[in-house]
Amino acid sequence: MSGAKTVNVEVDGRPVQADSRDNLIEAARRIGVAIPYFCYHPRLSIAAQCRICLVETSDAPGRLVPGCQVRVKEGLKVITTSPAVKDNQRGSMEFHLINHPVDCAICDQSGECKLQDYYMEYDHQPTRIRTYKLNKPKREIFGPLVVYDAERCIMCTRCVRFMDEVAQEPQLAVVNRGDHSLIATFPGQPLDSQYSGNTVDICPVGALLNRDFRFTSRVWFVNKSPTICTGCSNGCNTYLESRGDVAYRLLPRRNEEVNQVWMCDDGRLTYHATNDARVEYARTGKGADTAQVGPQLAVQKAVEMLRPLNGKPGLTIAVSAQCTSEEAAAAFLLGQQFGADRYVLTGKPPGDADEFLIRADKNPNRKGVQLAAKALGVKLSEGLGSSTKALIAFRTDGLDPAMLERLEVFIAVAQNEDAAAQAAQVTLPCTSAYEQDGTLINYAGRLQRVFPAVVARRGDSAPGWLWAERILTGLGFVQEMKSAAAVFAMLAGRSDDLRGLELLQIPDDGIVLQGLAPDDYPKRAPRPVPGGPSVRHPQTTPPGMKVSDEASGGSR
Amino acid sequence: MTETSRQGDFASLVTEPDPLAVEVEMPSSLMTVNLGPSHPAMHGTVRLAVTLDGETIVDAVPEIGFLHRGFSKSSENSTWHQVLPYTDRLNYVSPVLNNVGYILGVEKLLGIRDTERSQYLRVLAGEISRIADHLTCVGAIGLELGAFTVFLYAIEARELLWDRISELCGARVTVSWTRVGGVATDLPPGWIEKLRECLPRVIELTNEIDVLLTRNRIFIDRTRDIGVISGEEALDWGFTGPCLRASGVNYDVRKAHPYLVYDRMDFEVPLGSRGDTYDRYVMRLEEIRQSHRIIEQCLEQLPPGPIIIDDWRYALPPKKEVFGSIEGVMAHFKLIMEGIQVPAGEVYVYTEGANGELGFHIVSNGKGKPYMISVRGPGFPILAALPRLIKGHAVADLVPVFDSINMIGGEVEQ
Repeated sequence: MSGAKTVNVEVDGRPVQADSRDNLIEAARRIGVAIPYFCYHPRLSIAAQCRICLVETSDAPGRLVPGCQVRVKEGLKVITTSPAVKDNQRGSMEFHLINHPVDCAICDQSGECKLQDYYMEYDHQPTRIRTYKLNKPKREIFGPLVVYDAERCIMCTRCVRFMDEVAQEPQLAVVNRGDHSLIATFPGQPLDSQYSGNTVDICPVGALLNRDFRFTSRVWFVNKSPTICTGCSNGCNTYLESRGDVAYRLLPRRNEEVNQVWMCDDGRLTYHATNDARVEYARTGKGADTAQVGPQLAVQKAVEMLRPLNGKPGLTIAVSAQCTSEEAAAAFLLGQQFGADRYVLTGKPPGDADEFLIRADKNPNRKGVQLAAKALGVKLSEGLGSSTKALIAFRTDGLDPAMLERLEVFIAVAQNEDAAAQAAQVTLPCTSAYEQDGTLINYAGRLQRVFPAVVARRGDSAPGWLWAERILTGLGFVQEMKSAAAVFAMLAGRSDDLRGLELLQIPDDGIVLQGLAPDDYPKRAPRPVPGGPSVRHPQTTPPGMKVSDEASGGSR
Repeated sequence: MTETSRQGDFASLVTEPDPLAVEVEMPSSLMTVNLGPSHPAMHGTVRLAVTLDGETIVDAVPEIGFLHRGFSKSSENSTWHQVLPYTDRLNYVSPVLNNVGYILGVEKLLGIRDTERSQYLRVLAGEISRIADHLTCVGAIGLELGAFTVFLYAIEARELLWDRISELCGARVTVSWTRVGGVATDLPPGWIEKLRECLPRVIELTNEIDVLLTRNRIFIDRTRDIGVISGEEALDWGFTGPCLRASGVNYDVRKAHPYLVYDRMDFEVPLGSRGDTYDRYVMRLEEIRQSHRIIEQCLEQLPPGPIIIDDWRYALPPKKEVFGSIEGVMAHFKLIMEGIQVPAGEVYVYTEGANGELGFHIVSNGKGKPYMISVRGPGFPILAALPRLIKGHAVADLVPVFDSINMIGGEVEQ
């Protein structure tokens, strides 16, 4: 980041203090002047392909230069409002639309499409084309997550450049010439990169669409809420879009130190666990004896089963690394108050990893659970062990069903129906990390907040810390765990790493807990810049910028 | 009661004074009664808490809110065009005038004018609505003073006009007819002939009402010098429209600050002299005739041409373009989903509504939805002065006075 210095330029007569690395688009953005662009993307190489960003400068009066390609220099005057610029913007929109099909009504991109935005802003004229539009392949399956419509494509080549430069798996290319050009995959090689979903995000039009999201909802019906991906321990910052109690899709949210503006395909699918196969109602008994009794009676039953165990050995608390830090802290507090003698950290098994955004640990909060255990002074063991007679499991990931058979008492706080949830004598439905307030700590020791991004509550579901609180209250203990913020305060009061922090004061892009930061990062993984605050390179987001541009990290 | 019965029909039978009778003021206590909200004479659902001393009105407190619909708040959550149906419901007797007033404000913010034909159409439909509004007022005064025939005549005339309005706009009352840059529909074929047929009948019925009421002794006794307010005081109260002009103040927005094509129209502003219920009634009759003149002139001058501007930033593209071209479908989509992008700013526009100055204060923050809209309903300040008008009169005078100010609940309570 060295070498950056302030450069004074003028945009439409207003002075701008630009970064010397800025191009004209970014310099103008600093004072809220929008130069339109399709092919330019702040994190990709410059193609200068779409020609709508042409502006006039004092260096070449009377000529138009691409705002994406020309860098700022001291004293440069940029004009974005001259008749020549306006005429080019209108004309370039007209050309982009020559072969564009009349698809808005059936296109998923409607409502977040740059063509629609720019047409109304810069063109707003009827078509002058009297010939037939060119027919091209529609709905071509590119890969497991991506479908391509060549007629809608404006050949900005953002997707090609993304696969080459960011994913570094060159799986897309431009084929044919002129207006017969297409984006295509290579024979026998589908677009199966783990980062293919990002091509959909950066596609400015509806040419590349997410097959998982396609035709499930119109974009203006869903609410966009910030949250953290739970797919692996990288903790990519995301937006979750939801309506009612249904989540529809995950989009990356910009955090230059964690995921830049990208995320992986597996991460995009993690919201399915919030929608599908949920434990919705609190129940007692298993198999034929199952009874949905509601939260109050279920907790009462759990308390009845636990009370005889007071002071006796054999109670184990199992906490999954899928739990939020608050859930883990509450679980450990429950064990401590009641006298559990074994604490187990479970979780999903490790999987694939790479050097960019995908970590082998498929649990979002291993470090958070470990921090909670350290703060509450409990020792984490491996496996249930032979001495375990009773088990309270907070989330059931990675519990061996064979081991659960011989338990005398098994109470499960479970999010999804699985063998362990079925085997429990009392099953308490748990909200997913996308549905609750709390914190996660990623592999790099970054404390990040999750929010109730899916607003409507499913059945009896409640956060794990609330079930712990209800059981503790039933057992006659007094504690202060009435909200996620209160649980976090309890945890922060006992942890050296979190001392002085409050849940509501954690910034949007998280805090690196210095004690937990790794010595070494994976080779290409985004990371904090040493000695500096989080850097928003290369562009800033001035007030007044459209939210839809800011969505998915300004990558649109 | 004793006093009146003694002096009534029986009084003539008493030949000699009763030696036991003593001339004393009967002691009485003040009584508060409710008029409305659900009273047939309380048009538009308003409640009057009237304090009576016997038959005399000592005080009256109008209580509004029974027709409150959250107009301002609803408007903030609607696109600029979605606000139009809400304006229909302000003065629901002359909705076109509200449509026009609101849309002129949006056009002022945008800095655009509608087409010339649209301006004539707006004036034309607006004046038809004004006649309908005045007929309602006049009919109601007659009805509530016992002249049921007058009410039937007025309603017959109003129905004739509302039929024309429904042929033109698609609805009798909830017309939502104007658009930014024009109007929604052009005159249907044969409509002008139909209007020319029915207008003489409307004027004939108006003349019938004139004959029945204007020189009617009972009517005059019940309305002359009742609810008097001077021009100066009426201005202080914020009166506008026929109620202000009845008090002799010559203020009509159409003349004072002409908008649309009113400057090309030859019409007169009738003025009253006493500012009483009778004058307010006469104002309505005269304005019906003047509106008729304006309508005739509109029909004569009506130019051909488009009824809405051809700019897809503001006006929806033709359906052929919407279904057949990507440009059309995108413009349609953006206009419907996000609304017209109105530059940030603040305007107050005022037009001559049927009952006075109808003002819209509109604030835009540059988005597809209004940031704030508030309405100066002409009826509001006039209703506020109702206690002032009826104090000291008999309770029976309350209803005619209330009729003559023609309060419309929808615009008083937004």
